Formats: sequence, structure tokens, C-alpha cells
Amino acid sequence: MAVEQPTKPTVGDKLYDMMFHNYVWKSIFRTGYPNTPRNQMLVVATNLFLHLHPTRIHRTHVKITHTYCLGGLSFFMFLGLTVTGILLMFYYVPSVERAYLDIQTIQNTVEFGQLMRNMHRWMAHAMVILVFMHMMRVFYTGAYKPPREFNWVVGVILLVLTFLLSFTGYLLPWDQLAFWAITVGTNIAGSAPVLGPKTRFWLLGGFEVGPQALIRFYTLHVIGLPLLAAIFMAVHFWRIRRDGGLARPL
Amino acid sequence: MATAVVARPVSRTQTRSREEEVLVWPDLVFIEFIAAMLFTITLFLLSFLVNAPLLDQANADVTPNPSKAPWYLLNLQELLLHMNAAMAGVIIPTIWLVIMGAFPYFDREQHGQGVWFGTEKAVRLTIVSAVVGFVGTWFLILWDSGKIAFFLHGWFGLSGGDSLRFLENVRSVQTQLPWPEWSRNITYSPVNIVIIGEDFQHLDFPAWLVEQGIPTMAMVGMSAMLIFSLWRVGWVVTRRDALIVLFSAFVAAYGVLTLTGTAFRGQGQELVFPWELKVSEGIPGQE
Ligand code: HEM
Repeated sequence: MAVEQPTKPTVGDKLYDMMFHNYVWKSIFRTGYPNTPRNQMLVVATNLFLHLHPTRIHRTHVKITHTYCLGGLSFFMFLGLTVTGILLMFYYVPSVERAYLDIQTIQNTVEFGQLMRNMHRWMAHAMVILVFMHMMRVFYTGAYKPPREFNWVVGVILLVLTFLLSFTGYLLPWDQLAFWAITVGTNIAGSAPVLGPKTRFWLLGGFEVGPQALIRFYTLHVIGLPLLAAIFMAVHFWRIRRDGGLARPL
Repeated sequence: MATAVVARPVSRTQTRSREEEVLVWPDLVFIEFIAAMLFTITLFLLSFLVNAPLLDQANADVTPNPSKAPWYLLNLQELLLHMNAAMAGVIIPTIWLVIMGAFPYFDREQHGQGVWFGTEKAVRLTIVSAVVGFVGTWFLILWDSGKIAFFLHGWFGLSGGDSLRFLENVRSVQTQLPWPEWSRNITYSPVNIVIIGEDFQHLDFPAWLVEQGIPTMAMVGMSAMLIFSLWRVGWVVTRRDALIVLFSAFVAAYGVLTLTGTAFRGQGQELVFPWELKVSEGIPGQE
């Protein structure tokens, strides 16, 4: 029986030790590089961001065809939209005089501005589609059943918030497309019996789409609705953990 | 289960053995990373290739024709063409969201969760309901825009003559039938009830029928009939099955409405083919 002999550490091993077993690394990550089961569990448990996850999950849930990653990708779009949105905010002023010109400046003068705006726009569309598809996947896998009833309700609220986020952003470029889409859209809201006209007036800050509407939509778009969405997402993720991870056959 | 009067949400987590488990790092984190990268790359490519639209500066005096809401609201804008505005724009979406939120409180059966299409006939029900929703919605749209009568006449030379004029579209039920005068002004309340500026005392029955009655019958009646017939043939067994029918028909109808509103509505919201769709930028003082 061959006895394993300790081998001389290679250059790679030394480099590895230098990078991952030093004072600074440990001060940040607490664990070594996650290449052993122990470190792998520790890193998930001690890292704030990874700690959205449990350390271990059921085997069926890493099958792509179970979730198609749709919920995760919806969240990823939300994060991406936050990043590109913040960059756009550097240049954009929500006033009727400046909004349109600022968008032109972003496109023509700002370095990577056009790319940034495109990313924000296409991610927004992608998020609406992904959230809807996520809802379909949850429905057809029967994942709304007990004990996840309430998380389904939270999901419906998130769906509405996603629509509203997209809708309020639509006005901001202040071009013909934006203006008339919001005019049509708020007219739809205004047609509600009894409360409709009031709702429309409250949304627009007036009887038609104008400066007040722009500032209201902007405020809702960059702070009000994202904050609400973030809160509901936190509840959504928390509940997934509390309900014992994703649904699986009893 | 026999003792449970109300299906209580299970509060304890399901047990699982260690053999069934995988580590989040690397098994899940890896997948998430790949998915995120794929999307990042795709979106970057898309953003390099296609620019976000930017038209002329907003101008309240220049109305483009057609004016459209953002695409995900075009399903409502499409509904708006066929019925009472409040109903299409607010009441139906609100009621639907409430119904959808209530799904898990209607179907409380715990079994069949966590797998795709968890009942015996689920796939079949999904396909049938989606097809019915798809065809039914298209049929209603075509009927209401008068296209069915138009095609029957233009392609097959069929014409119902004046006696069938009322079938041309939904509105003609109101305008082409000999409604008695009294039915157009039915007083249902002795006093006029005014709620924030809106009067409730008289009813124009033919108008009500066309704007609210028929659309309600189409939506509620058709869903109910679909569920009922699939129950009669024995495919719908559980509440879950009924929800699958309802949800699948909804997704199909929602898709058709969104698509119609986006790609098939031209100037003046006329029903046209996508390749005929033109937008007039709206020159002031000109149509
Ligand atoms: C901004 C929108 C949303 C985000 C970011 C989000 C995120 C997520 C994530 C990351 C998961 C984990 C599993 C997966 O990826 O599929 C999940 C699960 C879930 N989501 Fe969402 N979601 C959103 C909207 C919705 C909507 C619209 C619904 C339903 C109406 C919903 C209902 C659920 C339920 C019931 C689960 C548990 C699924 C299971 O146990 O298999 N969510 N969500």
C-alpha cells in the first residue's frame, strides 16, 4: 500500500497561500477561498450578499428547468437598472426645459451615454417580461400552494410595482413617444368610476401632462417605487427562506 | 388529513436528507453567475446594436396618430376599444389582480406543488385553454371591428341582409335592433344618486348591453363555460385544474390583446396588418 508522501509545495500552492491565507483577506472574508465544503458553507453563511441563500439546498432546485432562473434574473435586472439609473441621474434634470436636451446630451456628448441609456431601456423591458414569465413558472409549478400563499400575493404586488416603475420611467425622456404614451396611459386610469379623475389629477399634479407630472413621475421613478419594490423584494426573499426554500413535492 | 377542517399553512419546514442536498456554493452560485453573464452580454450586444427610441421633443399641440400607451398597457388600450372605458381600463385589471392574488386561498391543496404541471391532465388543460383563449380573443376582436362580416362578404359573397345587420359588430346590437323607446331610458332609482359628480338614476339598456353586458358575458361567461365543459369531460378534477384553465386562458388572451394593440392597430386605431402600420407624426392643423 502506497503511503501518500507530502509533496513539496509548488509555486502555485505558495501563491495560493499568499493570496488567500493572509491577514487582509481574512479580515474581509473570514474564510479561505471556498474550495472545501467547510469554506463553501462558511462563505455563504458569512457573506451578506450570498447569505440571501441557505448554505445547502435541495438537489431539484439547481435544475435549470425548474426555475429557469427567472426570479433571480428579475432581481438581477432590478440591480442593473439601479446601476444604470444612477448613472443617468448624473446628467438628467426633470424639468420641461431641460429633460429632452439632457437625454440628447447623454446620447451625443456623454461618454458611453447612449450605451447607458440603451441598457437602462432594454433592461426595463426585459424585467417586465421576466417578471411575467417568473409568475408563469411559479403558477405552473404549483409553487403558490401552502405555505407560500402570501409570497404569491407579495409577488402580485411586485408585478404591479414593476409595471409602475416602467410606466413612470416612460415619461422622463420628454419626447413625443413619452408624452403621448403617458397621456393615453393616465387617461386609462382617469376613466375609473368615481375615483378615476381624482387619481389622474393626483398622478399628474394637474389636468394634463406637464411640469408637475414630470417631477412626480421622476420622484416616484427614482425613489418612491424602487424603495417600495426593494422592501417587497426583501419580504419576498425572506419568505422563501422561511417557507423552507422553494416548493417541492411533499 | 381527515381532522383538518381548514388546510393550515404548514409552518414547519419540510425535512430532507443530506443526500438530497447540494451546496449553494458552488452548485447554485455557479448557475446564477452564468445566467447573469449571459444576460449581461446579451443586453450589452442589444444595446450596441439597437438604440433606445427618441422622437421629437414633447409637444402637446401635435398628436401622433395613433397615440399609444407603453406596450405592456396596450392590452388595456385594446380592451378600451371594445367596451366601457372604466371597465376596460380599471375595473377589469383590478378585479383580475385580486382574483389572481386570491388563487392560493382558493386552491389550498398542498399536494402537487413543486413540479411542473402537477395534475394528471394539466398539460392538456393548459394547451386547450390557451388555444381557446387565443382563438376566442381573436374572434371577438375581429367580430367587433366588423372584419368577420367584411370577410364573409368580400371573400364568400355572403351577406346577411338588413335583418342580420345587428351582428356586424358589437355596437350594431345597439344601433341595428328595434329597441323599444322605454328600454333606452329605464329609471331604476326614485332619486338621483350623485357620487362625486356622477349620476346614477337612469339606464340606457342597449348601450349598457353593448358596453358592459356583452363584454362581461364574453369574459366571465366564456371562462365559466370553458371550465364547466372541461369538468364535464372529466379533465378538470381539482380546484388546481380549474385555475390552470383560467390562468392559461388569461395568458393567451393577454398575449393576443397586447400583440393586437402593439402590432395590429394603425391610424385611428383601425385594425390593420403590421406591415400596413404607419404612424403619422401629426403635423399641427393637419390630419
Ligand atoms: C420584481 C419581481 C420579482 C422578483 C425579483 C422575484 C424574485 C424571486 C426569486 C429570486 C425567487 C426564487 C426562485 C426563482 O428564481 O424562481 C422567487 C420565488 C417565488 N416568487 Fe418571485 N419574484 C418577483 C415577482 C413575483 C411574482 C410576480 C410572483 C407571483 C405572482 C412571485 C411569486 C413567487 C413565489 C410564490 C416564489 C416561490 C417559488 C417556489 O417556492 O418555487 N414572484 N421570486
